[in-house]
Amino acid sequence: MEQPVQTETWKARSLEELVRILHQIFAEDKVSVEEVQALMESYESNPEEWLQYAKFDQYTRNLVDNGNGKFNLMILCWGEGHGSSIHDHTDSHCFMKILQGNLKETLFEWPEKKGNGEMTKKSERVLRENQCAYINDSIGLHRVENISHTEPAVSLHLYSPPFNSCNTFDQRTGHKHKVTMTFYSQFGERTVC
Amino acid sequence: AGLSQWFPALELLDVSGTGLTEMGTELLSLPCLHTLLAKNNRLGGPGSLPKGLGQAPLARSLRVLNLSGNRFSEVPPALLQLRGLRSLSLGGNRLQGIPPDIQELHSLEFLYLGGNFITAIPPELAKLPSLRYLVLCDNKIQSIPPQLAQLHSLRSLSLHNNLLTYLPREILNLVHLDELSLRGNPLVVRFVRDLTYNPPSLQELAGRTVKTRNIPYTPSDLPESLVRYLSLASNCPNPKCGGVYFDSCVRQIKFVDFCGKYRLPLMHYLCSPECSSPFSSASQSSTSQSESDSEDEASVAAHRMQKVLLG
Repeated sequence: MEQPVQTETWKARSLEELVRILHQIFAEDKVSVEEVQALMESYESNPEEWLQYAKFDQYTRNLVDNGNGKFNLMILCWGEGHGSSIHDHTDSHCFMKILQGNLKETLFEWPEKKGNGEMTKKSERVLRENQCAYINDSIGLHRVENISHTEPAVSLHLYSPPFNSCNTFDQRTGHKHKVTMTFYSQFGERTVC
Repeated sequence: AGLSQWFPALELLDVSGTGLTEMGTELLSLPCLHTLLAKNNRLGGPGSLPKGLGQAPLARSLRVLNLSGNRFSEVPPALLQLRGLRSLSLGGNRLQGIPPDIQELHSLEFLYLGGNFITAIPPELAKLPSLRYLVLCDNKIQSIPPQLAQLHSLRSLSLHNNLLTYLPREILNLVHLDELSLRGNPLVVRFVRDLTYNPPSLQELAGRTVKTRNIPYTPSDLPESLVRYLSLASNCPNPKCGGVYFDSCVRQIKFVDFCGKYRLPLMHYLCSPECSSPFSSASQSSTSQSESDSEDEASVAAHRMQKVLLG
């Protein structure tokens, strides 16, 4: 993605409109990270619009739109206390917007080639409702967690290009392990494995 | 009278975030109440739960109870009378421990105790036959009782951010476990041998001999205290050993190696330093059928657990 000559400032007034504008943006040859991030942040989360995709069962990934092959838009539900492994993003761009609750993001450095020591934490922050974070492999790796013991969290993720496998990393040793991700539901319908 | 006078068909009641300091007897008569959500209140003092809870219609109907984000420093005993309870959350309270009587909640499937000050887990927790999800993250737990492996229905075990240095090897027996979180524990990464092995007492040596040689005795032969002592013999986990121990044992941490990618320290108890562990490395000289069988079992269990830990 490169910076185009002029950056639009979009305002998505609904989830449907957000998806429509995303299709428009990704139809172009060049897409700006800042533009997508600003668009995602501009959408004010309205549970009525996304509750059909938010299937709560501890930790679920629910596909909302497959962007004509250019991107995947999905909703993730995080039960109380639930967190992901440290993972990379398979050379794709990753946008994560909070729709409900809070998520803690911890950034890590890539481990050394022959890594055998504890991975290095770069930074951490708590993302609030409607905030949108961005990451790609050149920035680093991250772990995302719902650290609340009382509130579940819901997040909206955009990945471009789409990917269904990534590496998870053991924090104590830096060893990596490839995993394949699946969807709990697609377009609001439970996926039967 | 109570609430059932106005809402006899009420199934779900959410009084979260209302500043409640106690829940009154008006709830007791609700005959259909299935779910009670009382998160983020000021419950925890005496009288938080209404008197007579155990005998009320509510006690039979309630399936889901959420008391997370309150101020409970102990699990209120009245709660343990909710025999039909399937889901209980006490996350984000001030619990210092878990009462052994938790086993009374025999229908429990989901138990959330994350974010408290719990230091130990009672083995009685393992007597919950339907438990599928157990959350113990963000506490001060130093060890897991091996009995926890008896939770045959367990699908998910959350132990992250505690004070665990090792796990009992029995944890490999949880065959239905899909999820196990261990991050944020000071798990030992190097082989650690218990250097303070206390040699067995004369009483222990005598007891071991009686047991391993099957020397017959009757209660009239020995003082009652010794009869009781002999009944407490534990079998050495090494299937080849066949020995027993009482108080004196070697604790040995062995690492189950998941193809060099993830090493999990598991605690073994052995009857003496000379006794070899069932999970000895392949470089051992004698390789009888039973020893290699138990090695195979270990690597199968390890393979399964690798997927669980890193998935």
